[in-house]
Amino acid sequence: MPIRLVDAGSVPYLRSQTVYHGVAWARTNGTPDTIILACPMEPYVCIGLHQEVDKEVDLNYCAQNDIPVVRREVGGGAVYLDRNQIFTQWIFHPQRLPLRVEKRFEFFADPLVATYKALGIQACFRPINDIQVNGKKIGGTGAGAIGNSEVLVGNFLFDFDFTEMAKVLKVPNEQFRGKVHQSLQQYMTTMKRELGAAPSHGMVKELYVQACERVLGDELVVGKFTDVELRAMEAFDAKFTSADWLHQKGGLQRAGVKIHNDVWVYDATRQAKGGSIQMTIRKRNNQIDDISIFPDFKLQPEHSVQALENALLGVELSSDNVRRTIEDVYRQLDIQSPGVQLNDWVQAILSINATQAQG
Amino acid sequence: MSEREEIRGCVVLTNLHYAVDDHTWAMINDDGTVTVGMTDVAQNLAGAVLHAKIKKVGAVRAKGKPVATVESSKWVGPVKTPVSGEIIERNEAVAAEAQILNRSPYKKGWLVKLQPSNLQAEIAELKTGDAAVAAYRVKIEKDGLKACEHLDGFED
Repeated sequence: MPIRLVDAGSVPYLRSQTVYHGVAWARTNGTPDTIILACPMEPYVCIGLHQEVDKEVDLNYCAQNDIPVVRREVGGGAVYLDRNQIFTQWIFHPQRLPLRVEKRFEFFADPLVATYKALGIQACFRPINDIQVNGKKIGGTGAGAIGNSEVLVGNFLFDFDFTEMAKVLKVPNEQFRGKVHQSLQQYMTTMKRELGAAPSHGMVKELYVQACERVLGDELVVGKFTDVELRAMEAFDAKFTSADWLHQKGGLQRAGVKIHNDVWVYDATRQAKGGSIQMTIRKRNNQIDDISIFPDFKLQPEHSVQALENALLGVELSSDNVRRTIEDVYRQLDIQSPGVQLNDWVQAILSINATQAQG
Repeated sequence: MSEREEIRGCVVLTNLHYAVDDHTWAMINDDGTVTVGMTDVAQNLAGAVLHAKIKKVGAVRAKGKPVATVESSKWVGPVKTPVSGEIIERNEAVAAEAQILNRSPYKKGWLVKLQPSNLQAEIAELKTGDAAVAAYRVKIEKDGLKACEHLDGFED
């Protein structure tokens, strides 16, 4: 059976999510595998199926700025989405896809990567599910089972509002938000950044369809949604705008903010006898890529904090390495920190490894 | 027949009843209730499970409807019950620490206990014993699953 292509064009924010949920739920044995292209008219925040919205999203900021929030039935974290993105949504029978999800992502990313390359952007697939350009993420992908369908979703990033992305997240403090913003700027890229100007949506879609036909080995046949599918989308419209659906409790709480597969930003806090150590740590490939320390106690000499931050950059996040590094700085500067022991620093930093296991 | 068979490293316990296409199992308890979980193949395909959201006690689920959704770092999807019934107990340990599903899908990682509503008819549609092993062998070969991998201490 040929693959159906539906270019939904610009759609209301809600429909940009419910469109693929509806097709997935309505799928029967007679439904062709379907690729949907959609672009949201308005900006919004989309959270993962198991996230707790109050803990992940700054709902006050979103309300004040008329940014709606939607829970999808695919996993992952909170993302800011707007008209500078085209979503690519595959709703397939499992048999057409590789069995292993890792391979599915690679398969799904192939035409996305090929499209970027055709535009002159040297993108590559980075397992598990990133598309990157020189170590910077240009798109993410997600997967899940909805109804009897396997769904893969991704996007083309024409431009991105890094500031809004950082603002819509619920964060422990403003230093953390600043670090998230800086990290997004540093470790994400867009077509506009790579090419100097964003290409037209039409050109990108055309290249993408060609790449899909090559990868899937089948022609994409332009089609329309059925009445049954449209009714299913309307049912999802109602479900996704209900407060009960959005505010579900007891979800998956990720300890840090994921910038891309290799880069996370964490808040680490430890209460020692002599005071509280609060840190914002960016981890990249299990090394400290950036660290800011905010103690609420005095260290002597005064430049001790700066020295610790400098020494910890690039240090592998193992107990031995972190301990040795801090020990060296304490010895070299003869640091005095009454009530705060070497172990307090080590425990605070390594707590980010423990928390990552949750998410 | 051994109680534990392996197909390309994927464990199948022959005393359970399987919905092979959905990768779920059911065990009939002495009191007539049914325990439901996901199989070793399922936990392998999902990868490291980060979260499991299990339906509440009292929920009535028809065969094929989800009793839980699981999320790994790569995928999210439903666990469909192989038999209809009312959920009378859920595994709070899995709800609190989802990776139990990777370590022990058949023992500690059960998901729900059901009071079945149509057990006699529905259990007959599931595969058990030699038939389960044969059906899983066909499924694994057809799907091209090369091998199952296990964490240290799997099903200890």
